[in-house]
Amino acid sequence: MNNFGVVFALLGAALASLMAGIGSAIGVGMAGEAAAGVVTEDPGKFGKVLLLQLLPGTQGIYGLLVAVLTLIQIGILGGTSDVSLGQGLLYLVSCLPIAFVGLWSAIRQARAAVSGISTVAKRPEQMGKAMIFPAMVETYAILALLVSVLSILNIPKINV
Amino acid sequence: MALLAMKKVNICALKKDRKAVLETLQRLGMVEISDLCESYQNGFLKVDTFSMRAVFDKNKVAAKNALEVLEKYEPEEKPFLSSICGRDEISRRNYYIFANEAEEIMRVANEILRLSKAIDDKTAEIVRINTQIEALLDWKLLDVPMKFVGTKRTRALIGTLPKDVSELGLKEMLAEILPDEDRYTLEVIRSSSEQSCVFVLCHVAAEKTVLEVLRKLGFAYPAVSTKKVPALKINKLLGKIDTLKEQILNSKKEIRSYKGQRNAIKFMVDYHEMRSQKYEMIAKLLHTKNVFMLSGFIPEKYAAKLESALTSKLNSIAIDFSVPGKDEETPVMLQNNSFASPVESVLESYSLPGRGEVDPTSVMAIFYYVLFGMMLSDAAYGLIIVAACGFILARYKNIKAGLKKALKMFLFCGISTTFWGVLFGSYFGDAIEVVSETFFDTPINIPALWFVPLNEPMRMLAFSFAIGILHLFTGLFMQLYELVRAKKFKDAIYDVGSWYLLVGGIIVYMLSVPIIAEMLVLKFILPPNVGQVGAIAASLGALLILLTAGRESRNPFKRFLKGLYGLYGVTGYLSDILSYSRLLALGLATGVIAQVFNKMGTMAGNGPAGVILFVLVFLVGHTMNIAINLLGAYVHTNRLQFVEFFGKFYEGGGRKFSPFFVNTKYYNVTEDACNE
Repeated sequence: MNNFGVVFALLGAALASLMAGIGSAIGVGMAGEAAAGVVTEDPGKFGKVLLLQLLPGTQGIYGLLVAVLTLIQIGILGGTSDVSLGQGLLYLVSCLPIAFVGLWSAIRQARAAVSGISTVAKRPEQMGKAMIFPAMVETYAILALLVSVLSILNIPKINV
Repeated sequence: MALLAMKKVNICALKKDRKAVLETLQRLGMVEISDLCESYQNGFLKVDTFSMRAVFDKNKVAAKNALEVLEKYEPEEKPFLSSICGRDEISRRNYYIFANEAEEIMRVANEILRLSKAIDDKTAEIVRINTQIEALLDWKLLDVPMKFVGTKRTRALIGTLPKDVSELGLKEMLAEILPDEDRYTLEVIRSSSEQSCVFVLCHVAAEKTVLEVLRKLGFAYPAVSTKKVPALKINKLLGKIDTLKEQILNSKKEIRSYKGQRNAIKFMVDYHEMRSQKYEMIAKLLHTKNVFMLSGFIPEKYAAKLESALTSKLNSIAIDFSVPGKDEETPVMLQNNSFASPVESVLESYSLPGRGEVDPTSVMAIFYYVLFGMMLSDAAYGLIIVAACGFILARYKNIKAGLKKALKMFLFCGISTTFWGVLFGSYFGDAIEVVSETFFDTPINIPALWFVPLNEPMRMLAFSFAIGILHLFTGLFMQLYELVRAKKFKDAIYDVGSWYLLVGGIIVYMLSVPIIAEMLVLKFILPPNVGQVGAIAASLGALLILLTAGRESRNPFKRFLKGLYGLYGVTGYLSDILSYSRLLALGLATGVIAQVFNKMGTMAGNGPAGVILFVLVFLVGHTMNIAINLLGAYVHTNRLQFVEFFGKFYEGGGRKFSPFFVNTKYYNVTEDACNE
C-alpha cells in the first residue's frame, strides 16, 4: 500500500494539467472563433484579437506548471520516487485548486474575451479596457495557482 | 507629471487669406479647431463644404485604387520591416511642385484605373469565349454551317438527341419506325453519355415525317448556332482570344510603365486627404461676407510660435489668446520626460485626466517598469527584449510615433526584467546550471544576487505584498496631493489621512505579531509596544472613517450607516494587497516553465542527439515562454495600475487634444526651411 503515494501524487499532477488544459483549450477555442469572425471583416485587427484570444490560454500553462512542479517534487522525473501515502494524498489535494479553478476560470475568461473581441471589432481604440475584463477573471486562476504552488513546495517539509 | 497648459485662441482674418491661414495651421498641427455655433444676429454664418469634400474624397479614392492596381501588377519593393516606419517628410517646395501637377497625376491615376478595368473586362470576355468554344467543340466535325437549312430540294435537321447513339443504331431505329421512307440520310457527329449530335438531311417532302419521328426520340435544336462552319468559327474565336490576351499583356505593360509615378500618386492620396480635411475645418468656421472667424485650443507654449507664423505671412489678421474658463471642456495633452512618456499610451487606454486631476504618468511609469520586471523576472528574457527593442529603435529612426512609444516602454520593461532576473538568479530559468551539468559534467551555478523565489516563496510573497502596499499608499498619496492642491484640507484628512492611519496601523500591528512574522519568514519583528501604537492608530483611523465617511448626509442615522459602509472598505484594501500575490505567481510561472523546457531538452542526455534536441526544445520552448509571459506581464501590470492604483485616486474622463494637422498616409508635409 505504501507505493500508492506516488499514484495519488501523479493523479494530482495529471488532474492539474488535464482540467486546466481542457479549460484553456475550450477557452482559446471560443475566443478563436470570435477572433476569426472579426478578421474576416478587418484583417488589420489580427494582432489585437490574437492577444485577446490568448488570454484564456494561461490556465493550461498554470496547470502544466503545477503538474511539472509535482513531478519534480516526487522525483518521478529522476526515475526514483519515494512518496508516502500521506504525502501522495497531500500532493493530490494541493493540485486541486488549479485543476478546478483553472477549468472554470478559463471558460469564464473566454466569455469575457469573446465580448472583448466584439468590443475591439467595433472600437479598436478601447483595446486596453477590453483586455482588462478577461484579466479580472484570471486573478482567481492566479490565486489558485499560488495556493497549489505554495502547498506543493512545502509538502516535503511535512512529516506524514 | 504634467498636463500642458491650454489656451483658447480666436483668429479673425480676411476671407481671401483663409487658405493661407488654414494651411499654416494644418502644417503647424498645434491648434484644435472648435465647432462654432452660428449666430444669425451678427451675420456670422457657416458654409456647407460637403460637396467640395465629396470631390476630394472621390479623387482620393481614385488615387488609392490606382495605387492598389499598380501594387498588383508591379509590387513595390519594400525593405524588411518597412511597415513599421512612419511617413516620409516632404518639403513645402516639393509639395507645391507636386500640387501643381495634380491634374496630370490624376490623369495618370485615372488612366491606370481605366487600363485595370479594361483588363478585367477582357479577362471576363476570354472566359465567355471559352465557354462558347466549349459548346462548339461538340460540332467541330460538322462540315456545313450550323445554320445550314438545306438546299432547294433538301432540308437539313441539325440538333441533339438526349442519349448515346451510334450512327448505325440511329439508322436502325429510324428504319424500324419509318419502313416506307428512305429519302433521308444521317450522320452522328459526336456522341457522349449525355447527348448525341446528329445531322439529318432529308428530301423536302419527307421533312415533316422525319422531324416528327426525331422529335419523339427527343430531338432538339442546339443551344449554339453560328452562320459559319463550327471548325472555322472555333478557329476564329481562338484568334480572338489571342488578340485579347495580347491586349491584356499590353495594358499590363502600360500599367507597369507608370511605376515611376507611384510616389506622385501616393502624394495625390495625401493631397486630396489634406484638402478634404481642410474643408472639414472650414465647415466649423464662421463667415461674413469678407471675414472669417476661427476658434480653438492651443498649448500655451506654442502660442507665440503660432502668432509669429501667422503674422509674418499676413498683414490683416487678429489673433487673441485667452485662458479657458473653468467650466469649459478643455482638451488634455500630456507632457512627460522620455522615461515616463512611453506609458502615456497605457494611461490613455484607461482614460485621460479629467478636470482638475493631475497627470499620474510619471509616478505610474516607475511602478509600471518595476511591476512588469518582477512578473517576467528573467535576466536573459529581459536582455532579449532590450536587444530587440533597442535594435529596432536604433536601426529605424523614422518609426510610427505610437510604435516608438511602445518599443520604448518595452525597452524600459526589459531593463527592469533583467534587473529582477539578476536579483532572483534566473537566466533562461536554470539553463546555465542544466547545460553545464548535462553537457560538461561540471555544474556552474550563478547565484541569485538576492534570493531565489522558487526556494523561498513565502519571502517573495511578503516582498510582493510590500511592493503592493507601497504602490497603494502612493496612490493614496496622489489623492492627498490632489485634495491639498484643491485646498480641500478637511477632505484630505477624512478621506486619505484616516486610511493611512487604519491600513498603516493594521500593518504595523501585524508585523509585531510573531505568527505572521514567522509565516512570512520575516527576519525582523516589531516590538510589542510599537505594535500597540499601530493598533491605536488603526482604531483612530477606523473611528475617523466611521464618523466622517457619511459626512454629506444630514440625518445622523444615515451618517452612521454610511460610516459603517465606509469602514467596510477595509476589505477592499485587503483584497487589493492580496492581489499583488500575482507578482509571485507570474514570476514563478516564468521560472518554472523555463525549467520545464530545460528539463525536457536534456531528456536525451549528452551526445549529438542530446545536443540537437536541447537546442530545438530550447529555441521553441523559450520563445513560447517569452511570448506568453510577456502577454501575462503586460496584462497584469495594466490591471494592477488600473484597478489597484488608479482605484485610489484617479477618475479620468478627459478629452484628448486632437489638433488640426497633416493627417496623411504617406507623406508628412512640414513647415520647413524653404522660406517663401
